[in-house]
Amino acid sequence: MSESLERISTAILEGDEEKAPKLVARALRKQVSAKDILENALLVGMGEVGVRFKAGDMFVPEVLMSAEAMRASMELLRPELIREGVQLFGKILMGTVKGDLHDIGKNLVNMMCEGAGFEVIDLGFNAAPEKFLDAIKEHQPQIVGMSAMLTTTMRAMGYTIKAIEEAGLRDQVKIMVGGAPVDAEFAKRIGADGYGSNAPAGAELAKQFVGAA
Amino acid sequence: MRTNYRMNSGVRFQMLSDDQLEEMFWGVLHLLEHTGLDVKHEEARDILEKAGAWVDGERVRIPSYLVKESLRMAPRSFTLYARDGNPKHDIRIGPGRAHFGPGPTCPNFIDVETLDRRPYVRSDVPIVARVVDALPDIDFCESLGTVSDVHHDLGALYEFASMFPNTSKPIVAWSYDQHDSAGIHQIAVAEAGGQRAFEQRPNYVHYCEPLSPLVSTFEALEKLIFAAKHRIPLIFTPCPIAGGTGPVTAAGIVTQGAAESWMGLCVAQALQPGLPFFMGGVYSVMDMNAMILAYGAPELPLFMAGITELAHYAGLPLWQTGGCTDSKCFDGQAVIEGSMSVFFSALSGGDLCHDVGYTESAMTGSVFQLCAMDEAIGYARRITRGIDVNDDTLAVNVIHDVGPNGHYLKEKHTRRHFKSEFWYPNLLDRQDFESWEMTGGLTLKDRTVARVRDILATHSPSPIKPETEKVIEKVLAQAEERVKEK
Repeated sequence: MSESLERISTAILEGDEEKAPKLVARALRKQVSAKDILENALLVGMGEVGVRFKAGDMFVPEVLMSAEAMRASMELLRPELIREGVQLFGKILMGTVKGDLHDIGKNLVNMMCEGAGFEVIDLGFNAAPEKFLDAIKEHQPQIVGMSAMLTTTMRAMGYTIKAIEEAGLRDQVKIMVGGAPVDAEFAKRIGADGYGSNAPAGAELAKQFVGAA
Repeated sequence: MRTNYRMNSGVRFQMLSDDQLEEMFWGVLHLLEHTGLDVKHEEARDILEKAGAWVDGERVRIPSYLVKESLRMAPRSFTLYARDGNPKHDIRIGPGRAHFGPGPTCPNFIDVETLDRRPYVRSDVPIVARVVDALPDIDFCESLGTVSDVHHDLGALYEFASMFPNTSKPIVAWSYDQHDSAGIHQIAVAEAGGQRAFEQRPNYVHYCEPLSPLVSTFEALEKLIFAAKHRIPLIFTPCPIAGGTGPVTAAGIVTQGAAESWMGLCVAQALQPGLPFFMGGVYSVMDMNAMILAYGAPELPLFMAGITELAHYAGLPLWQTGGCTDSKCFDGQAVIEGSMSVFFSALSGGDLCHDVGYTESAMTGSVFQLCAMDEAIGYARRITRGIDVNDDTLAVNVIHDVGPNGHYLKEKHTRRHFKSEFWYPNLLDRQDFESWEMTGGLTLKDRTVARVRDILATHSPSPIKPETEKVIEKVLAQAEERVKEK
């Protein structure tokens, strides 16, 4: 790895939200390809973040800083990647389901997914099944993520999945669910493709769905 | 500068009122002046008589002014030093500071490989010392056992000789007699760089134990006199058993035990004014059915909190007890009993809390109990560290900035404090069910065994000086020579 790429991955690892995009811009000016920057700097940095988080050597506030540095770098890089014709990870449609006003957990998953290189379309909270259906048609995401915080509202995730099935859209998307009361058993029961127990696990799962993990 | 603001950086805990403490203090003085103790050592009786005590055969009575004078001479705050100069391993004795370590002399040990109970042997000593050296919340070292595979008279000496190179944390040393004490002291002084250097930076504490009720034995005083003459910080700690060798009531056993410690205090301060002196020791009940000294009874931490408060009221540091159990194995009972006494000890701020890692009522030492209690001590210390209140920790501005329905995970304030405000476990599991299952579904016992074995595979304590190694060889050879006919 060249020195400039190594400095970018270090800035990601250290969660330096200002330095990382500056280094990315400098590398682009030096004619380093966007693909090279993504694969050999940004993803290397985030990969190390994931390893350290799993080992208990990094903590969520630090992982979020890295994700922010990644998101800021990707904003710069995305147009270049598209121009180079690089296949991106894809889009995630994310929302807190109907009846539930909690969206902090979902927002964390968004940040982590953006940090992993995804584009995230956020439906906010209290999102009805119809809202999910319209957005799937409009944005064509590869992944749909749903969140619920309460045992009383987690049922709405099942209803939403049912609505997606009935609309004939189920085969187009992978569905992941999460939230405080959710576990793997529940995810299976309502017909989701997977479950993440926390924000970094959600981003990991999304990467597995697109074959990037 | 804030003035007239009562800072409270720890948790406030007091069990006895000042009036109750004054009554107990009077009780101890009365016992020493009117009942007195049998002092089975002629030189000690002479020292006491010269200082102003009344000697009648073996019985020695001490006027209260002499006790108060001795209390005044003994320091409340001082430092015990790491032998290698590592300041993280120093122990600063003083108000509001609780320290923890194992106990001595259990006949049995839980084998670290087989997990079986068997007699304690010489090769167990470095295991205990290295685990002590590595555990973050264990502060001083004892060996958790009596070495059974050397000459009967040399167990204590071999024990110290094996502990000393394997931890730089201060050691509490016991001995059979003054020959042992002299050998131990030679080793410690060699490492310190001479007697004078040792006096300035003592790297071990000498432990002696009088007999309850009300006897200062020859052996205890012989060792006390040796320690006092060489200015070795001293623990003089009785082990009264409520209902057996001490009164059945909490106030009574504390009062008797204090009198037993203060007889030693008066001898020590007469010989060596200002000698650091810990009163002690192990106060618990005789279980009237099982007929054991109960190390897991709630009365143990209760009595120990009582004697701690009396010691601090009188201006002395205390040799505390906790982290021990009557359980025969690593189970819920061991963890309940150990954790409760550890927490109570941390709250009362007893200065050196020993017997962490005792199981089976002091019959079996266990590094696994010690390792689990290290976790309980870390937990307790987070609580007793208390709550800091200032503009930064109050966070009114941060709360304002985040506002309704925001979150704090990205705040600089969170990043700055989350490592120091929160305590992170080494052994306790907080994973969700799936992750726990995926990582093997391990129990606390599994994780504790793994941690001990990992420490033994990876941790190396800082070495002693080469010249100290030579002194150890010489001391052991001389000792073997001394006992070869016995």
